[in-house]
Amino acid sequence: MSEPVSTTRSSLMHSYEVSDFFDEMFSRGVEPRPHYQQLYNRLIDMTVEAFNERRGNADVSFLYQGITFTVYGQQQAEGIERIFPFDLIPRIIPAAEWSLLEKGLIQRVTALNKFIFDIYHEQRILKDKIIPPDLIFGAKHFRREMMGVNVPKNVYVHITGTDLVRDDQGSYFVLEDNLRSPSGVSYMLENRQAMKRTFATLFQSYGVRAIEHYPQELLSTLRSVAPRENPDPTVVLLTPGIYNSAYFEHAFLARQMGIEIVEGRDLVAHQNRVYTRTTKGLQPVDVIYRRIDDESLDPLSFSSESMLGCAGLFNAWRAGNVTIANAVGTGVADDKAVYSYVPKMIRYYLSEDPILDNVPTYLAMHDKEREYILSNLNKLVVKSVNESGGYGMLIGPQASKAELELFTDLIRANPRNFIAQPIVRLSRHPTYLDGRLHGCHIDLRPYILCGEKVSIVPGGLTRVALRSGSLVVNSSQGGGSKDTWVLNE
Amino acid sequence: MLSRVADTLYWMSRYVERAEDITRILTVNFHSLLDAKVQDSEDAWRPIIAITGDEPLFTNNFEEYNAKTVSEFLLWHPENPSAVTTCIRLARENARCVREQISSEMWEHVNRLYFLVRDLKREVAARGPYEFFDQIRQGSQAFQGITNETMAHGEAYEFIQLGKHLERADKTVRIIDVKYGAVNVLSDGPEVSLQLIAMLRSCSAFEAFRKQASHLNSTRVAEFLLFSQEFPRAVSYCLQRALRSVNLIFGDVPTQRHLRSPQRALGRICSELGYLEINDVLDQNMHPYLDKLLSGLNELGVEISKTYFNTQVIAPSFQTSQQSQQQ
Repeated sequence: MSEPVSTTRSSLMHSYEVSDFFDEMFSRGVEPRPHYQQLYNRLIDMTVEAFNERRGNADVSFLYQGITFTVYGQQQAEGIERIFPFDLIPRIIPAAEWSLLEKGLIQRVTALNKFIFDIYHEQRILKDKIIPPDLIFGAKHFRREMMGVNVPKNVYVHITGTDLVRDDQGSYFVLEDNLRSPSGVSYMLENRQAMKRTFATLFQSYGVRAIEHYPQELLSTLRSVAPRENPDPTVVLLTPGIYNSAYFEHAFLARQMGIEIVEGRDLVAHQNRVYTRTTKGLQPVDVIYRRIDDESLDPLSFSSESMLGCAGLFNAWRAGNVTIANAVGTGVADDKAVYSYVPKMIRYYLSEDPILDNVPTYLAMHDKEREYILSNLNKLVVKSVNESGGYGMLIGPQASKAELELFTDLIRANPRNFIAQPIVRLSRHPTYLDGRLHGCHIDLRPYILCGEKVSIVPGGLTRVALRSGSLVVNSSQGGGSKDTWVLNE
Repeated sequence: MLSRVADTLYWMSRYVERAEDITRILTVNFHSLLDAKVQDSEDAWRPIIAITGDEPLFTNNFEEYNAKTVSEFLLWHPENPSAVTTCIRLARENARCVREQISSEMWEHVNRLYFLVRDLKREVAARGPYEFFDQIRQGSQAFQGITNETMAHGEAYEFIQLGKHLERADKTVRIIDVKYGAVNVLSDGPEVSLQLIAMLRSCSAFEAFRKQASHLNSTRVAEFLLFSQEFPRAVSYCLQRALRSVNLIFGDVPTQRHLRSPQRALGRICSELGYLEINDVLDQNMHPYLDKLLSGLNELGVEISKTYFNTQVIAPSFQTSQQSQQQ
């Protein structure tokens, strides 16, 4: 079974190169890793034509099902709908590896919830000088309005999407925690459907752990945090509307959970209760799974220009009559500078050692670290602390002189706003591009649900950089995704 | 169900139906042109625009009525809000807004129809319009069938049915109005029969009519299209179905005094249709009667929108009405 990768047959694997990056499928000696052996055997026998046929089928079904995201800005009023690129080669994670990740993620989310609770109550972690107070009070997403308010079960972050990466040794690191409203879970679910259709036999023989129960788990989580332990709460999903690029996902999740998807204009708050406007009058709402940001939630409390929210929503929430998931103000903990303190939070709140490491991070707000950043700018990745989606980023080695100078000025002008990290040599995974397989960089975003208990469906969304050599996996930057198989054993 | 969602479903359905109706009217006219006596002229095409009620908009954009300009206008003119391609785009846009309310099959189907229309080259459609028309008609009919078979027949479904039947009733009334007028100025002869057949075909009613009446004359045709309780495009049938939907949406009411305004408005129209005879209509002349019927349907549309879709800020009496609704 130890065929060399550079087989002479005109197969997909033809001239696949394993470089000095960590390759998920192959060990250094170009041997397939044991958990990839079966997939490897299948691929080595497959012609490009046969593979393309399967690929075509998957693409067409995605388009007809409307699994697209919308790109605006061009002249068309309708916007351009693109299929979120889906790669048919699955990423495989052995059982033992997953179980470690799972423990690490639960530990992390538990600490983050305790941290947010603490920040909006006694602020012990600041008083004990574990985290500098100005870091918190200067955070863009710190919400004074949240001070002293209690939330059901003290859970602030109900849904987390943590981005994990592997370096060239194959060790896992947390790249960032997405604690506001992480997206992408619908792709995880749809990718699985597509894989089951196109590689049914292989899938069946592999012993892959199921993920289809995610919507049910999400609903249970949301129901468990209803105000006043209401046993039969009404849950709705609040979307910015169909022009949002993630609308497909909002509709998908609402349908899978069997709950109403609402826009701000469907809601009305009266005497600190929130209602939906229906054909039979107003109906009370208990839990709002919101997919709009804090600023847009309530024009009375936050941005008065927002048309997406519901006036009076925040007061209804403060009165304890409605739960908002994720809670307002969770962004204070996914600020990329605050992120660097998560290992300390874990030690502080849980008295445990972190199971998952952070990527080493330098904060420009600290004088010494800033000097280090500025003198090593061409070797580091610089990130703006509140941006996501691959925006506001500088990749040192690929940057032009002008870009380096621009970021030098930006960092000096507003050090609090920037962090820097060494370039993680992201692991690579065989991925179909232009007629054969290439090693493309990947990451992994598992979705962690936190209500009565913490639960994670095995795996998550594996994102892949579909430009050769690119390290950026975000969908808005030309990334795609893969199905993620966590094995039973 | 959410007011916004009900509104969207209702319009989704109306747009699908409208696309089909306009396509059928066009198809029938193209067919009629094949008969030697009918010329590709203003006389042949102006009535088609009259049916849609868009004459001013048409004359603003085109100089003369002929096969090319009328089909251009009805199929894809960007300024025509009822152009077939616009209807399909709007149907799909509405479906997209309520993606989670309709079945996946419905969404896939309306999406497919949209891509078909969007990607179609106009020259190709112009060369083989029948094939294109057939695809639209079948697409719309399949959509209604898929809706029937894949969606729970609850409130959402009834709003879809309501939209479909009101749109259809509206179009049938307009077809009778225009075509009946055209027949009446003709002296007896084969021309009359051709016109009557075209009128029936515009409502897919020729075969159904033939099964129950052997004599083809304008009175029988008008009677059939107005009063049939069995033919799914007859005005009476459509409005009875619409009434049924409205009643199901509200659920049982204890007495007639508790009826809401759409039920009253629609019930009145249905009763009148139910007790009229064709001679009563002919006595007061067809056109004024149909005109009154159309404005009745328009007012009904307004009542429906006020009652179910109104998303206005709640009036000061909010608090008391709120309590009663919660009980």
